Amino acid sequence: MTTFLSEQLFIGGLHFTADGFRIVYGLIAVWMWALTTLFSFEYFRHERAHLKRYWFFTAATFIATEGVMFSADLMTSFVFFEILSLTSFVWVIHEETPEAVRAAKTYFFIAVIGGLILFMGLALMANTAGTLYYSELHEAIANSGQPKTVFAAGICILFGFGAKAGMFPLHIWLPKSHPVAPSPASALLSGILTKVGIFGILMTALPGFLGDGTFGLIVLLLGTITMALGALIALFSVNLKRTLACSSMSQIGFILVGIGTAVLVSALSGSGEESGALASEAMELAHSGLVLHMVNHSLIKLTLFMAAGVFVMRLHMINLNDIRGFGRGKPLLMIPFLLGALGISGVPCFNGYISKTLLHEGLVLAREAFAEGGAVSTASLLHGIEWIFLISGGCTFAYMLKLFICIFIEKHPQKQAEYDAATPCMNRLSAETLLTSSLLMPLLGLPAISGRLAALMTGDDVFHHFHAFAFANLKGGMMSLLIGMLVYLVIIRRFLIVQGRYVNRWPAKLDLEDLIYRPLLLKVLPKAGGALARFVDGLPGYARIIMPAAHFISRFMALLPDGIMIFSRRTFLHERKRQSEEIAPGQLRTIREREKQAAIPVVINFSFAIMMMCLGILIIFGVILLLSL
Amino acid sequence: MLILLAILFPICSGIALWYYHKRTGKKGHGLYTAAILITDALALLAILFAGPVTLFTFSPRVTFSFELDVIGKWFLVIAVIVYTCILFYSFVYMKIQERESSFLAFYFVSLGAMIGVCCASNMVTIYFAFELTTFSTVPLVLHDQTKEAVAAGLKFLFYSIGGALLGLFGVFFLYTYAGNEVSFVPGGVLDMTRTAGHEPVLYLAIFLAIIGYGTKAGMFPMHGWLPTAHPIAPAPASALLSGIITKSGVLVIIRFIYFSIGPGFIRGSWTQYAWLALALITVLMGSMMAFQEEIFKKRLAYSSISQISYVMFGLALLSQGGLEGGLLQVMQHAPSKACLFMCAGAFIYRYGIHDVKGLRGIGKKMPIVLWCLTIAAMSLVGIPPMGGFISKWDLVLASLSSDMGVVSVLGPVVLLISALLTAGYLFPIMIDGFFPGDHVSDELAAQPDPKMETGSSEAVPRMMWIPLIFLCAVSLFIGLFGNRLLALFGGIV
Repeated sequence: MTTFLSEQLFIGGLHFTADGFRIVYGLIAVWMWALTTLFSFEYFRHERAHLKRYWFFTAATFIATEGVMFSADLMTSFVFFEILSLTSFVWVIHEETPEAVRAAKTYFFIAVIGGLILFMGLALMANTAGTLYYSELHEAIANSGQPKTVFAAGICILFGFGAKAGMFPLHIWLPKSHPVAPSPASALLSGILTKVGIFGILMTALPGFLGDGTFGLIVLLLGTITMALGALIALFSVNLKRTLACSSMSQIGFILVGIGTAVLVSALSGSGEESGALASEAMELAHSGLVLHMVNHSLIKLTLFMAAGVFVMRLHMINLNDIRGFGRGKPLLMIPFLLGALGISGVPCFNGYISKTLLHEGLVLAREAFAEGGAVSTASLLHGIEWIFLISGGCTFAYMLKLFICIFIEKHPQKQAEYDAATPCMNRLSAETLLTSSLLMPLLGLPAISGRLAALMTGDDVFHHFHAFAFANLKGGMMSLLIGMLVYLVIIRRFLIVQGRYVNRWPAKLDLEDLIYRPLLLKVLPKAGGALARFVDGLPGYARIIMPAAHFISRFMALLPDGIMIFSRRTFLHERKRQSEEIAPGQLRTIREREKQAAIPVVINFSFAIMMMCLGILIIFGVILLLSL
Repeated sequence: MLILLAILFPICSGIALWYYHKRTGKKGHGLYTAAILITDALALLAILFAGPVTLFTFSPRVTFSFELDVIGKWFLVIAVIVYTCILFYSFVYMKIQERESSFLAFYFVSLGAMIGVCCASNMVTIYFAFELTTFSTVPLVLHDQTKEAVAAGLKFLFYSIGGALLGLFGVFFLYTYAGNEVSFVPGGVLDMTRTAGHEPVLYLAIFLAIIGYGTKAGMFPMHGWLPTAHPIAPAPASALLSGIITKSGVLVIIRFIYFSIGPGFIRGSWTQYAWLALALITVLMGSMMAFQEEIFKKRLAYSSISQISYVMFGLALLSQGGLEGGLLQVMQHAPSKACLFMCAGAFIYRYGIHDVKGLRGIGKKMPIVLWCLTIAAMSLVGIPPMGGFISKWDLVLASLSSDMGVVSVLGPVVLLISALLTAGYLFPIMIDGFFPGDHVSDELAAQPDPKMETGSSEAVPRMMWIPLIFLCAVSLFIGLFGNRLLALFGGIV
């Protein structure tokens, strides 16, 4: 179902297609834009500056997002991806505060860098595989004959799209730009723009790199790091929107783990019977799990960021110590937030549980498949990742618990009365929007609905042999929640609350952006590269030496006959020295000056000329003689 | 005859109008507008209908003749478009300069010379036209007649003449080793029986010729005139130099290598690798210098150095893809860079701001100009759907598919690093300009709101920004349809 916009445009035209996954995601984009727009009406009521600009770029970003979501080849994705990077940048910088400008610049340059890496990947891919169609990618990669180059292309594409998805190590923009953007825009940034990056990785890796275990392993490891790191920073953060942003990063990690598992395990699917069967089942589970997790995360973050928007709108503060207790006695705010929190934490009966369990089962089966196939080291690695997975899931529960308890249960030490009086905290439209968005969490928590959705998006129905509430699956989920409870009680209550205030114990210095990227790009590179460039730039300037050198040589040539003359006079012409003064040998210039003043007798010159002539005649005769011999 | 008319008409009309304005003391732009429109029409007619024309014959092998082929048409179109846009812009800009009519006179003469470069059909003719572009643009550079301007103009002159002489060296060798007929033929006219055994000296001569003609194109090691001449010259002259005049060097190199020597002759020789190396060095060096430069026009000059060497890199690949990528890069760089210089000129014209730091908050005063700057910058960085994207795509693909070991990967990497630096030196201007927060620069803070003064939200007259929009549209057009146009260039390599 591929359609061309026009083959005349760009490089062979823009190509679009629609399958289950694309349609679902296209609809989710519509849903998210619709709800955030409804919510924006109240949100922007008091901050009217630059609104026209905001709406224009919101609309443009919507079009670009749909463009990526329905693209049928990498080139079309890339074109819309770049447009989207530039238009969404305006969201981040919207407030124009110094932090916003700084975050926006980071966002922008990560987007540019990602775009360039992606560009390189596309070029390598087009050159070696010869096609950029997602549907032809698998075959083209298998037949390319240059496995190393194709692999490099895949890695470039991974990092290029990963920059937008918030994948480690290009995640740095994410925790900074989401908090400074207006809340409806944060919801979109977090809910759907990161998924655009995931979309690219997913479409390239599955089915493009199916069977390439190394590629899968790299995605899996990067996903694991992203997942754990995001959860860890979120745990420490004391800023509501920042916590949610870090949570986004962590959830992206979960999705990447799913992609990685699917690709890694697909390397086995052709091998021995037992492990092959396990592998293909693991792959299907991981695939279904990751697409469901994408959907769930989009919907959950929509709700949570809009809920966070209420605090920004009312209080203009998002630090946990400031907004503490604001949610007390406000059920319209609490219910959506609670549903979102339950969903994302993976509590059974809510949507996050199903997708996380699928991902977890995929990991477990993959481990078993590798153990069966005899690859013990990979199996033990997967075992380790499974634990990190469970712990990260636990951390999710822990930080959501922290947010919920802080906002809706605890009391603000000073302003509680003021907060209690601030009701209703939003108008009817916003409340309805928020509630509507949150009702999907329990709905998608029903395995029947989720199963249908996953089948629609992936094409294979895993729910006939996957039982979400089987004991083994519940055990994993419960273990995760238990870990989360422990983390909350032991770490958060003990170490992260000091004298009743939430503190961020994360060392401020430990920031990849300030520690490495900015110094590297803004100090080291210009200093080293700049010095080199200045040197090269100045190099032709040394050609100036040519002028004095030429001057010297021509002077020398001009003086040479004079020199010969003087030399000859002092040797075989026997110039009589004047007794009154001595002439040091070699003082050509002095002698020459004196000769000028002393009006050299014509005879000497004349005799010299005759002598030279004789010399010339002799030479000519000599040459003739030699030639005639 | 149409070609001759297209060449001579701008030259004559420029001089005549100068004389007329000097005699009558009138100040009007009507006649100039008419002259440029007639030139456009003549150029169009020449593109559509002109046949070959020989002006005179020195000897059977050395003639003075013109003919328009597809490459010539390509350059002619872009030259005429950019010249027309800059002319309308300079009507406004030259209000802050003296001696407008003499500026415009040389402007028209250089247009005629440029058309001559595009139309020439052998190395001798193109050499004459090439020198004429130099001599007619030097007065544009030293138009201010301050001490620095004269020094910069002379520097430009010396570099150009030195380069052209090196190039002439190559022409002599070409005539020594070529067959009987020495005109532009795709694939070259070298007589292989004559060259046999003389390759080393020919390689050297070709290399020197590339460096020589590369002077105009700002290729290392003869790039030094660009950063000196551009900041000093009036903005329309800088736009012209960077947008079009540098391209004359590119065209002469294409003519010399692809149509006289033949790419097959130097493929795989040390000359090709040295050329590639020089191009890549220039790309990196130029963008790095631009990244550190604080004076906007100087930054743009370094940027030109780097961007035109993208073309050089494409040409040095000596493949069809490389040539096509280079031609697209020419086509997108000319309008984009002219547009950027004209934006810089608009800032100087209205607020006297030369420094990048002074542009914080300029977006509130000149939104349209800054938008044009953004779009042109997008094109230079290579962000779709602008022209720079497909030119870079073609260059990178040509490089990757070439069979040159490490160079074929190194080239794209260098191009992409340079693109990142390009983003680094152009986009912060846009970001700070549109989103200054509370930190509007001192130069702009004291300025009144343009709405109060002129009634429009733009602080510069309409005549100044309409050409900018037009140039951006050209770049966008190249981005959308450029790859289709490449079908024109089949079979050159």
